[in-house]
Parts: sequence; C-alpha cells; structure tokens
Amino acid sequence: MGLKRTLATLAAGAPTPVFAAAGLGAGAQVQDLRLHHQVRLVDTPSAASILLVAGGIPDSLAQSLSRLHDTMPHPRCTAWWPLGALPGLWLANFPHHVAIDHNIPERLRAIHGELVNGQRPSEPPMLADEDPAPWRGIGPYGQGGTGMTGGTPYGRPMAELGPDRDGLRLDVLPLNVGPFFPRFPAGLTLELKLAGDVIVETGIPVNLFRDSDQRNLRGDKISPFTRALSEPVLVSELELARARAHLRWLANALVACELRSLGLRVLRLATTIGSGEGDSLHSLQRVLGWTQALGWSTKGVGRVGADKLVGLGLGPVARASGLAEDVRAEDGVYRDLGFEPIVQSEGDAAARWRQRLAEAVQSLALAARAGDRLTDPGGVVESPHGRLERTTTPADRLLPLLPGLLHEMEWGDAVTTLVSLDLNLQETAAVEVVDAEAVA
Amino acid sequence: MNGLLTDAIFWVFAIGSVITAFRVFRTDSMMRAAFYLLASFAGVGGILVLLGAEFLGMVLILMMAGEMLIMAIVMVMFMMNPAGLNPMWMVHQHRIAVAAGLVSFFALASVPFLVDFPDRPALRPEEATAELGTELLGDSMLVFQTAGVALLSTMVGAIAIANRNGRFGEAEDGSQEPAAEPGTESRP
Amino acid sequence: MRDYASPGVAILVVGSALLAGVYAVAVIDRMIGVLVAGQGPSWGRLLAEPVRSSAVLALQQRRTTERPDAPGWALAPALFAGLAAVALALVPLSRDLVAADPATGFVVFSAAIAMVMIAVYLHGWSPNSAFALHGAYRYGAQALSFQMPFLLAMLATALPAQSLSIVDIVNAQESLWNVVRQPAGLPLYLVVGVAVSFWGPLNLADGADLAGGTSVEDSGLARLLWAAARAAMLVAIAAMGASVFLGGWWGPWLPGAAWVIVKTTALLIVLIASGHLLARVRIQQFVLISWVLLIPLALLNVFVSGALLL
Repeated sequence: MGLKRTLATLAAGAPTPVFAAAGLGAGAQVQDLRLHHQVRLVDTPSAASILLVAGGIPDSLAQSLSRLHDTMPHPRCTAWWPLGALPGLWLANFPHHVAIDHNIPERLRAIHGELVNGQRPSEPPMLADEDPAPWRGIGPYGQGGTGMTGGTPYGRPMAELGPDRDGLRLDVLPLNVGPFFPRFPAGLTLELKLAGDVIVETGIPVNLFRDSDQRNLRGDKISPFTRALSEPVLVSELELARARAHLRWLANALVACELRSLGLRVLRLATTIGSGEGDSLHSLQRVLGWTQALGWSTKGVGRVGADKLVGLGLGPVARASGLAEDVRAEDGVYRDLGFEPIVQSEGDAAARWRQRLAEAVQSLALAARAGDRLTDPGGVVESPHGRLERTTTPADRLLPLLPGLLHEMEWGDAVTTLVSLDLNLQETAAVEVVDAEAVA
Repeated sequence: MNGLLTDAIFWVFAIGSVITAFRVFRTDSMMRAAFYLLASFAGVGGILVLLGAEFLGMVLILMMAGEMLIMAIVMVMFMMNPAGLNPMWMVHQHRIAVAAGLVSFFALASVPFLVDFPDRPALRPEEATAELGTELLGDSMLVFQTAGVALLSTMVGAIAIANRNGRFGEAEDGSQEPAAEPGTESRP
Repeated sequence: MRDYASPGVAILVVGSALLAGVYAVAVIDRMIGVLVAGQGPSWGRLLAEPVRSSAVLALQQRRTTERPDAPGWALAPALFAGLAAVALALVPLSRDLVAADPATGFVVFSAAIAMVMIAVYLHGWSPNSAFALHGAYRYGAQALSFQMPFLLAMLATALPAQSLSIVDIVNAQESLWNVVRQPAGLPLYLVVGVAVSFWGPLNLADGADLAGGTSVEDSGLARLLWAAARAAMLVAIAAMGASVFLGGWWGPWLPGAAWVIVKTTALLIVLIASGHLLARVRIQQFVLISWVLLIPLALLNVFVSGALLL
C-alpha cells in the first residue's frame, strides 16, 4: 500500500526507540547514546523497537531479558553490543539477534529501517503465551465465580490486608521491580510490598553481578579506581574520572526529576570536561537551584542518619550525612595537595546531590594541581561510590541498608532516594578481575 | 439546528442513558459500574442541554465526573474485592430490586400519558443562568456563597476529627505517622 | 445572539486546529529541549521529527496485557482527545468567529476539564498493570486537588463580564486585560493548566519514576493517540487562558484571529518550558499546597475582584 510505504520511509528516518539493558562495562557507553539524535532511549519496552543488550549479562538475568523482549511490540529486534564481554547463556534464547560493535547509533537506525521496511522479519516471541492463572470455572469448595465477591480466585495469592495505619486498611500488593527498571541501577531487583503507594516491606536485594563470570575482560575498560587498588595511577587521572562519574550520575538523576534536556546538557559536560574547569559547575549548581531540583524535588527526602552509616565507607552518601570518612584523607599525596573531605549535615537527597557536585568541583581542582603525582596502591581506594577494597565494594555494604531506608516511603520518594544513593552494582565484578589478574 | 437532528440526538442520549443505566447492574466489574453510571448521567445532562437548561446539564456532568471517580475509588477501597478485579454481583435482594424498579418505571412513565400538561409555550430565556440563580437563591446569594465555603471547611474538619488517629497519629505520641507494622517504631 | 457553527464546519475547524496545535506543541517541545540541552538546533530535523516519530508509532503493533479492560483502554485516549476538542471549540477567534458559544461556556470548559480525570483514570486502570494503576490513582489525587483552585481562578474572570459566556468574557477585556485586573489569576491558571495535562513538573501520572505511568503498557497507535491527546489538551488550555486572561482577540494592528494565535503560542511556550526547566513536584507536596495555599489564594482572588466591581 502506498500509505504503508510512505509511513515506512518516514519511520526509517525517525529516532529509533531503543530499550537498553546495560550489563557489565556498558553503563557509560549506553548512557552516551542519549547524545545521539538517531537513537531515543525509552523507559519501557512497550515503546521500543529494538532491545539493546550491552556488556556482560549474568545467566541469572537471562529470563528477564526474554520477558523484556516479549514485551516489545512488533516489529522488533534484539541487538547485542559485546563491549568485550563473553557471550552468556541468554544469547542462546535470542537466535535472531544482531551483533553490533561500532558506529552504534547508525547501526541501530539501519536495523530499525530494515524492520519497518519489511526487509528484516520481526522476532517471534520467546516465552510461551500461557495464562499464569487460567480460569478453571467453579470449583467444589466455592472457588471461582459465585458469591458476592466472586469467591476465592485461583492461582493468585489473595491480597492480604495491611495493618491499620490511619483508619484505612489497604490491600498489600507484592511487586517485583527490576532488574532493568530505568531509574534503578542495572541489576537491582527489589521485592516490594506496597500498600497503596507506600512501601511497607522490601527484601534485601541480591547483587546478581557479584559472582557472575560475565566479567569485562578488556583491560582498558577497567576503571582507574580498580587499577588504583594494585598499581600507582596518576592522581589527575583518578580525580578527573571521579568528577566525570559524578556528572554522569547527575545526568541520570536529572532524568528522574523530569529534567531530561538539562540531563543531556550535563551528560555532554561529563564527556568533555577537563581538569580545572570547576567554574562551569558553579553555574550548573545555580541553575539546579532555580529548577528546584535541589529544592522541592529532593529536600527532606530519604534522610539517612549518620549512626546507620558509621564505618561503612559509603563515600558521598556518608559525607552528606555528616561523617567525614574519606580514604583520601589518609593518603600523603592528597594531604600534600591540601585535600579536606567535604561534609554536609542534612543527610537527605538534596544534601547528597550537593555533596557530589561539590566533590566534582573539588576533584577538578585537585586534578589541575596534581601534576605528575601518583597514588599509593594500598589495597583501598576511594571510588565515586565509597571505599573500594579488593574484596568488598560500597554497594555490598549499602544494599543491606535499603530495606530500612525505604520502609514506609512513598514510591516517588523511594525512587528519588535510590537515585540519590548512586548504587553501582557493577563495581563488584571489576574487583574480581583484579583478583584474577593478581593471582594469575 | 433543524428538528430532525435534534430529535436524533435526543433519542441517542435517551436510549443511551437507559442502556448504560441497565448495564450498571448487569456488569460484574465495580469500575465499569461506576463509569456506566457516569455515562448515564452524561446522557441526562445532554438532554437537559437540549431542553434549554444548559447550566444544569453542564453542571451535572461537571459534578458527576468527580463524584463517579470518587465512588469508583471508594468502592475499591471498602469492598472485600481485591482491587476490584474479582467479578461480583452488583445487587442485593435481586427480586425485590427488580420489582421496585419496574413499578417506579411504569409509574413515572405513565405520567406523560395521564397528566394534562398546560399548553403554554415557554420563551427561551435570554439569561438562563441568571434567571436560574435568582429563582434558586433570590436575595440570599452572598449567604449561600459564604455557606458554601463554610461547608467545605466543616467537611474537611469533620473528616480530620473523625479519623481515629488524626492525620499524623495520636497527639500524645507527638503526632507521628503510625508505623507500617503496629508495635514497631515509625520513621521520624 | 448565541452562535454555533454547523456541526460539520465545527468538526473540521476544531479538528484542524487541534492537529496544527499538536504539531506545534511537538515542535516547540523539541525546540526548547534542544536549547536547554545546549545542542545546536537542526531545523529540518526538528520540524520533521514529530511526523517521523508518529510514523514509527503508527507502524508498531498495538500490544495487549493480561485481562485488560479493553473497551476502557481504547476509550481513554479517544475521550481525552474529545474533551480537548470540546475545550478548544469554546475559544473564540473573534467576536463573530467561534465554533460554539453557549451562554455557559465557562461551565462547559470546566466540565471538560473535570472529565479529564475520568479519561486518565481509565487509561491507568484498564491495562491491569501495577505502574499504570499507580499513575491513575496519583492523577486522581492531583486532579481532585486542583479542581477547586481551577474553577475559582477562572470564575474570577467571569465577574467583570457578568456572564459565563467566553465571548462575553473576552468582550469585557476591551479596556483592560484580566491579567492586569486579577494578577493572581493567570499564574494560578497556569499552575493548574500544567497539572491538568500532567506536563513536566506535575507529570505524576505518566512520570519517569513509574517508567511511563499510565502509558507504561501502551504501544503503537494507542501511544500515539494518548500523546496527541495530551498535547491537544495543552493547546486547549493555552488557548482558553489566552482568551480569558490575555484579552483574546483584542490588540492593535493585527487582526483578532492572529492575536489569539500569538497569545496562545506565548502561553504554550510558557507551559512547555515548565517541563524542561522545573523539577518534579512530589505528590504529597502538591496536594498539600493545592488545598492549603491555592484554594485560599483563589478565593481571595474572587473576593477581591468581586469587591472591586461593587
């Protein structure tokens, strides 16, 4: 039909809607795709045409990828961007996938063009289309279909009524969110119980990346913080990487605050900023103040008391609650450069935002002053997320605190809090690479 | 507008209202029952507009939108029907309800046939809303405005007082939001 | 005295105005987004992108979920778009050019805005999905909270005109625009306008923290129609605000219709820019501010305007 062909021609030139599942070693690369106009990263696979799987995916997440794939509407395709990772078990479920490794935005657009033009067939569903709770009619004990409220439903657990909070007993809804929820760090799965919009219970999340063998094996992708665990690294390189990491976090956090365009601006800054350019961050902080991202959006949300964080080495999260814990303070090289840990006192999400911005400014200034100084490899490094050691990462220590933190929080506030905590579940695998190399 | 179009629209609204009203009781979903009722009211509002009572018709739709939404939400809240997803039977005392419905329908439907309506053609009012207001409220317009605001404050206050623990828990406990599990500490 | 265009003409005019408005919203949104993001605008691409993205959605399959309320799911975007059309039909282009001029135009507009609650709630309830339902309930709380400030803010504009008809309200602004007579009215109206179409900082129904909220399970034409309906409602709100606060067709040099378009575009830019420049508002805060601050403010606005008239 002429109409279909016109639509196909128009659609081939549009930004490709892509749902990205970023695995090990792929976070920053996938985030950079936002800067290209050929690709549009969407929040839900229902809006996507291409499922982009990047980096290493542990086998435990394979089922989630299949479910994401089947949620996409036709015409659909899966693209795999290895980024140095080994192929995993999940690849066996995706026989029609396309492997891409360079010029990603253009390749994605080309695949999308083939899909809409009919040159590439849409991928068939992976999971069987079976009803999880098929209707079994009326049962012998009154199940199904009769009585005032239709009897007891088959299949699903009957909703329990929650305790009486304010005169109203609400049904409690068990809900699993993740592992590729767009506002959460990749790999985070929360098993929640919601009463209305309030979280009444959370299970302690498990870090599925931790013991996976999907390590990112390409040496140049290992972050400078992991390298600094075992070898001397230029202080300027380390601090510049820290500032960039904080800005990348800010770009994601702004999307969660419905400030997408500002997030793009910050992302571009994160990719181009150099040492000593801290002044541009001052104007950024002023702008953030006007937009109320540091105001009504995050003020008073997710307060964490210092008593819960003592000794855990949680980096900016701890320092925003008033604890002056920083591994760099004990390093002679940093003391020579006049390093003093920055500390805030409120401990809420706004304080954590301000903390990371201030630390980015500080890091850029340090990077400019550092010259040729090298760090002292001592097996402990201050990463942008906290105290990184060979055997434990900041995320390992922060995950057990989540249930207490998110208890009785409204959902929007919970997302704001999680975003402000800057969890990185993928730091852990890098540690094991270092171990393997040290052992080998 | 020509008479044929008016008649057609009238019949669409009238028949639509009756059918959706019937569906309120025959559907097995609480949500749909509330929205079918809204559709029925919207049909009645349309007929009121056709009769020249624009204000009444539009205010009916305006009020019913909010009311039906609240009714749907409150039904889900208070019925032992999780999230309103279980199919359920919408009526109590089925036979009596049918009998009462039929009796009232025939009683009301016989009115146009049995009553002697006066043969006074009414003039289409120029300022229908103003005339309606004067008719209803007369010289007490300001009193009713003030009473409206006072009623709103009273409703809000009554709910706050009637709430067992108040909005933020017992005052002796420092007005803290009660904990999600009774007996545990609530977050500060 | 009360003019109504014939139904065929009205549908044509309002329909094309809505289409043009939806396109304008898409272009302005992208333009402001590009400016805020600091990228150089490529005009050709910017102007073609809404059409191209619509083509992508038109070719996508419309998916379904497990046991949705299918009639409700299909009805919601259509209802929303219809309400936007009703609201836009009330906006006069000049003293004699209006699709519909009922004597109670203000009430019709308010009824259309009230029914938006139903459309959004249906849209969230129907897919039988957790995030969608959450967005629907949030919008219910949001909408019930802003109804009163909205009605009161607009009511104050009817006082100088002593009539509920939109044409009369615009006529009464010949000497002085309502934005000058009632300075609190327009900011209040704009806040509520952003809330009705759940745009930007008040996008709690389709928010980023719900991965798309009521639209999380939408795909294909359903997604396209919902986005178009939202944009259409934004246009209707901007157009109505331009009429009752900014004097509608009154203005020197240009013909009346041109002024209406200029003023509507100005308000559209303000409304759309809020989505790029203001951070997300928390639902508890919005409900609190709405009941505790906005209602008294709107009441004060009405009383002061009324007192000035006496």
